Amino acid sequence: MNRVEALLSRDMAAASRRMIRLRWVAGAALLLATAIGVRLLHLPLPEKPLYLLGALVLVYNAVLLSWGGREISPRPERLLRQTRWVVVIQVALDWTSMAVFLHLTGGITSPGIPFFLIHMLMVTILLPEVPWYIYVSTATGMLVALAVLESQGILSNHPALSVIPTSLHRDPYFVLAQVLFFVTAATATVLLTASIMKRLRERERQVTALLHSSQAVSSTLSLGDVLLRLAENAAQAVLTDRASVRLLDETGETLDLVASFGLRAEYLSKGPVELSRSGLDREVLSGGAVIVDQAANDERIQYPREVTEEGIRSILAVPVMGRTGPKGVLRVYSTQAQRFTRDDAELVVAIAGEGAVAIENAMAHQAVQKADQDRAQFVRTVTHELRSPVSGAQSLARVLLEGTSEGLTERQRDVIQRISARLDRLMDLINDLLALAAAQAPGFQPPPQPVGLLEMVRWALDQHAAAASEKRVALQPEIPGGEILVRATRDGLAQVLGNLIDNAVKYTPSGGRVRVTARAEGNAAVLQVADTGLGIPEADLPHLWEEFFRAGNVRKAGIVGTGLGLSIVKRLVESYGGRIGAQSAEGTGTVFTVTLPLASESGLS
Amino acid sequence: MAKILVIDDDPDMVLATKMCLENAGHKVSSARNGEEGLKQVKAERPDLIILDVMMDTATEGFQLALKLRNPRPESDLASFKDIPILMLTAIHSTTPLRFGPDQDYLPVEALIDKPFDPKALVAKVENLLKKGK
Repeated sequence: MNRVEALLSRDMAAASRRMIRLRWVAGAALLLATAIGVRLLHLPLPEKPLYLLGALVLVYNAVLLSWGGREISPRPERLLRQTRWVVVIQVALDWTSMAVFLHLTGGITSPGIPFFLIHMLMVTILLPEVPWYIYVSTATGMLVALAVLESQGILSNHPALSVIPTSLHRDPYFVLAQVLFFVTAATATVLLTASIMKRLRERERQVTALLHSSQAVSSTLSLGDVLLRLAENAAQAVLTDRASVRLLDETGETLDLVASFGLRAEYLSKGPVELSRSGLDREVLSGGAVIVDQAANDERIQYPREVTEEGIRSILAVPVMGRTGPKGVLRVYSTQAQRFTRDDAELVVAIAGEGAVAIENAMAHQAVQKADQDRAQFVRTVTHELRSPVSGAQSLARVLLEGTSEGLTERQRDVIQRISARLDRLMDLINDLLALAAAQAPGFQPPPQPVGLLEMVRWALDQHAAAASEKRVALQPEIPGGEILVRATRDGLAQVLGNLIDNAVKYTPSGGRVRVTARAEGNAAVLQVADTGLGIPEADLPHLWEEFFRAGNVRKAGIVGTGLGLSIVKRLVESYGGRIGAQSAEGTGTVFTVTLPLASESGLS
Repeated sequence: MAKILVIDDDPDMVLATKMCLENAGHKVSSARNGEEGLKQVKAERPDLIILDVMMDTATEGFQLALKLRNPRPESDLASFKDIPILMLTAIHSTTPLRFGPDQDYLPVEALIDKPFDPKALVAKVENLLKKGK
């Protein structure tokens, strides 16, 4: 079942329910009108049969309500079939009642004939797929049969008003005039309603198709998917099964096939579409939608033989207009000649417009991703190129310093030691710059995953144990049992912990303490590194996270560092959705507090 | 005294390694890339190989190590698969990769970071040679 049928089924079920509601009014009105007509106006109406008819209408309406008023099947195909049956039965019952009603109110002379027209109008809305002449001829047939039966005396005649001559229903001119009036009015009513309904349905279908298409193309950022969905939705919107999307290449002279729907590989491999040879595409790119009604002998087509072999007889081609100009051409094809209308063209133009926006978004996304990858690759290359010479030089310097057999003078040894120390700083800087770039570039880091925080803390403490004990700084872990899983990367977390503990040890004088605590708090893990070191001057605290910033007191104390460590830490922590803060008092010490989101609701194990 | 082959494209690094290991009493030869290195391995049958990772290509060292470790049985490399390999690499600090020689896909005996600490290099080399015997 396609979307059109789903709509039809929904419409029909709604109309069926509306008809049942209206019938309560009609039945009650019949009873009331009979009572008023007979009792107050003393009209010569057959009272009892009319009451009976009114009651019958109400009874079968109640039956219809309990049977067909609700949506019986959840499956749309069956629902449509069931609804259609309910409607056909309703129409049959109503028209039979209508015939009885007309008979009871004077047959061909009945003033109730216009009610029949109103009913026909509703039926046309309800069952739009039945041709108009079936309704008109069935209704007219019923009226003519009634007139004939009454004029021949086979059925009795009950004029509704005393002013109507009792022989009027036998007057052939009157009968003919009434029938002609009825046929004309019925035909006009049914035709007009049917054509309005058809336009309405078509509009609704188009709007739905456009919405569907725009949703489909904008719900992905993959360029390939966008193009494929665009082709598919354009074809389905105009109820055909073939479409293609071609985009202009860099030269702007050739249209490259980028997506197709329902076309054979033989047709698609026909060769490049060149603007200089394709009048059709030139026209589309400069002027807008073009409809080809007879593809076989249209001179604007570059590959007429292939088009014929594919069985294509009509083409609708529209431009894909980007923000800066035409980007390409969207075509839908049909095997019927003269298949596409201006309405189709408008719809496909709108779909192509939505498609163009999605294409540009996907292209921009692709460019950003490519840029990220390029940047990551660039940083890797630069880092390798920077590290190699420093590594070589440093290794040579160290070998010289340690290879005592070379017999260096004190002065030479001192010079080489200085060179070696500067090379160490240079290497630190290169490593930190790489870490900083890695923390920033999305292409550089693997996606965050559950990592055991406590395991990493223990590992980081181990790494710094030697340096701390050499400096006589006490490392004091306060770690609970079990494990706390946070969303991070192992490398990044190692960097964060390494940097914080390294700083704490570096800036704490001999005899001091570095306390490392970790605990789960709500849905976050809280890590603290507290030292009894130099502390950070209050004026410097706000600048702590800036690249290359180093606090005044540590610079004065001549402690080396790149000034990048905390920038790296902050970026990493934030890339995991966490926060970092620092509290410090100069001369007393510093506390860094890192909050990281837990890997899952509980995060504990 | 052992025969050690250094495969590295950086002449400074080769010189540093050479000085360091010759000081420790070893005989050191060198090659500038994987292809040359493979030739030398066949010609000299060293007792230990010191291998750089990034040479002409970013993974040349890895590939050479894999080739030496997993030779086809009939190939002329089959008899060299037990020579210990010490991988000299800056990769720990140039990529977010973290690995150790214990992992299956890196078939070397030990890793040492660039720039190296001469004492650590000599210690690792002695250690590997002792194990190899």
